[in-house]
Amino acid sequence: MGAILEIKHVSKFFGGLAANSDVSFDMTEGMIMGLIGPNGAGKTTLFNCITGYYPPSRGEVLFKGMKMNGLEPNKVCKLGMARTWQKVRPLAKMSVLDNVMVGALCRTNSLKVARDIAMEQLKVVRMDKKADFLAGGLPIGERKKLEVARVLATKPVLLLLDEVMGGLNPAESEEIIQLILEIKKAGVTQMVIEHDMKAIMRISDRIVVLNSGEKLAEGNPQEIVTNQAVIDAYLGSEH
Amino acid sequence: MRTLLKKLSDNRGISPVTICLWIVVLAGLAVFPKFVDSPYALHIMILLFLSTIMGESWNILGGYTGQYSVGHAAYFGVGAYTTMMLMQYKQIPPWYGMWVGAAVVVVVALVIGSICFRLRGPYFVLASIAVAEILRLVAMNLKDFTNGAEGILATEIPPFKIGETVVTDFLSKVPFYYIGLVFAVVTIIVTVLVQHSKLGYYFQAIREDQDAAHSLGINLAFHKNVALLFSAVLTSMAGSFYAIYIGFIDPPTVLALDISVQIVLICIIGGIGTIYGPVVGSLVLVPLSEALRSNLIAQGIFKLGLASEESAVGIFLKEHLAHAHALIYGILVVVVILFMPDGVLGFVKKLFTARKRENA
Repeated sequence: MGAILEIKHVSKFFGGLAANSDVSFDMTEGMIMGLIGPNGAGKTTLFNCITGYYPPSRGEVLFKGMKMNGLEPNKVCKLGMARTWQKVRPLAKMSVLDNVMVGALCRTNSLKVARDIAMEQLKVVRMDKKADFLAGGLPIGERKKLEVARVLATKPVLLLLDEVMGGLNPAESEEIIQLILEIKKAGVTQMVIEHDMKAIMRISDRIVVLNSGEKLAEGNPQEIVTNQAVIDAYLGSEH
Repeated sequence: MRTLLKKLSDNRGISPVTICLWIVVLAGLAVFPKFVDSPYALHIMILLFLSTIMGESWNILGGYTGQYSVGHAAYFGVGAYTTMMLMQYKQIPPWYGMWVGAAVVVVVALVIGSICFRLRGPYFVLASIAVAEILRLVAMNLKDFTNGAEGILATEIPPFKIGETVVTDFLSKVPFYYIGLVFAVVTIIVTVLVQHSKLGYYFQAIREDQDAAHSLGINLAFHKNVALLFSAVLTSMAGSFYAIYIGFIDPPTVLALDISVQIVLICIIGGIGTIYGPVVGSLVLVPLSEALRSNLIAQGIFKLGLASEESAVGIFLKEHLAHAHALIYGILVVVVILFMPDGVLGFVKKLFTARKRENA
């Protein structure tokens, strides 16, 4: 299987600060890539560079072989790459169903078709009973699931999940883990930012570790947990 | 008939009760001039229609798309000026002129949109005010073109003919009443159609969260401009209608910040982002401003014996209350924002749901 996403020497500078410097890795179709690193390592910045919110200062992002630099987020989404937000962004004054329909309308002009797609996605995240609730009134766990249902409705081939388990209790996290595995089974490639190490080790096929904007290590979960550089970055080298 | 009703309600999610209510209200409004021939009553109704059209049009951009333009006087004024100038200087009847006005407004709106939509939030609001003020100053100073501060007076409205038969000569208020009614209904229908379409969903997504909308495949610049075009064209129709109905325009009456603010107030008071909000807002604001203008409130205070007409307070009220128009508006807005943040309509809805809960 060829690479669906190629990140080549991506750097992003904010003034003199290098949020990402010279990050490179590839993702093959159908895999789950875990993206980890301490706070401020540049994980979300990398997401923003990939999905078009910032153009990378240097380097390039290739999606299905196409150069994505400078492409607007809406076009990136139309091409089949969708992302969620670390800080959830529900469309608060719209119903849960309407939220997901906005995602579904990315692929259709018919409200009826969009409503069917949206209902289907709500069933996937087990929120179909909450379809008529206002999105702004949901608790955090359900907001995160709504966020996932909404991006799934855009029918992505590559999904970037930014800390979908952040702030959830263990039962809710478990539910999200199962959901991510289901999405994988459906054939969607995923990149997952997560702080919960146990979870990321369970779901990831490969893991990239960022530290201070640079790629520290890459490998399968087994290699990462035994990598001395990673242990040093997380626990300090004196341990 | 029943199948038609069912089809309407199935496709658009509109309940049959609403449709029946609409039919009753429309029938009532249609026969209203047959029973009431007081020109003053008709005048108030026409102002109500006008205000509804203005509110509904702003609502598409401000209420549904969340782009709070406080510069809608620009579109109102450009529509009014184009129609009026074509009629006075080129003898083009207003029912053609208003379409030219709308076309001019499309161009103006695209220029304004491409500049102002680069900005978000309060910066967009300020830019929209600035652009409308620029247009007011231009109209004020291009004396050869717009007649400057003297304004333009409609000397004669040509009669409206189909073939050779004269449909109306615009001598009474009745034709204006019906034109206003039709326009108001059309704007409401346009709003309903927009709300129940892909555009409506996208507009609301942009209002709720621009970045989230962007990431879900919505082209922000394009959809904001579409919302602006709908809004601006309908506002220009209101402007053209106003110009012909009043028969006189000058920069302070059609291009001033007052108009922009008035348009926004209609929506804030009625309920932003709802179909009937602007209607409710008009029902509150038009009678209120008429009462203030004609000093009805001062007279009411005298009648109730709260103050005597000859006392110092009475004389003060009589002389100044009519000018306190803006002050009373201001107080009203503060009260609405404090106690009914979703407008009168939202407030009433909340009361109803609260009562339902109590009963259940």
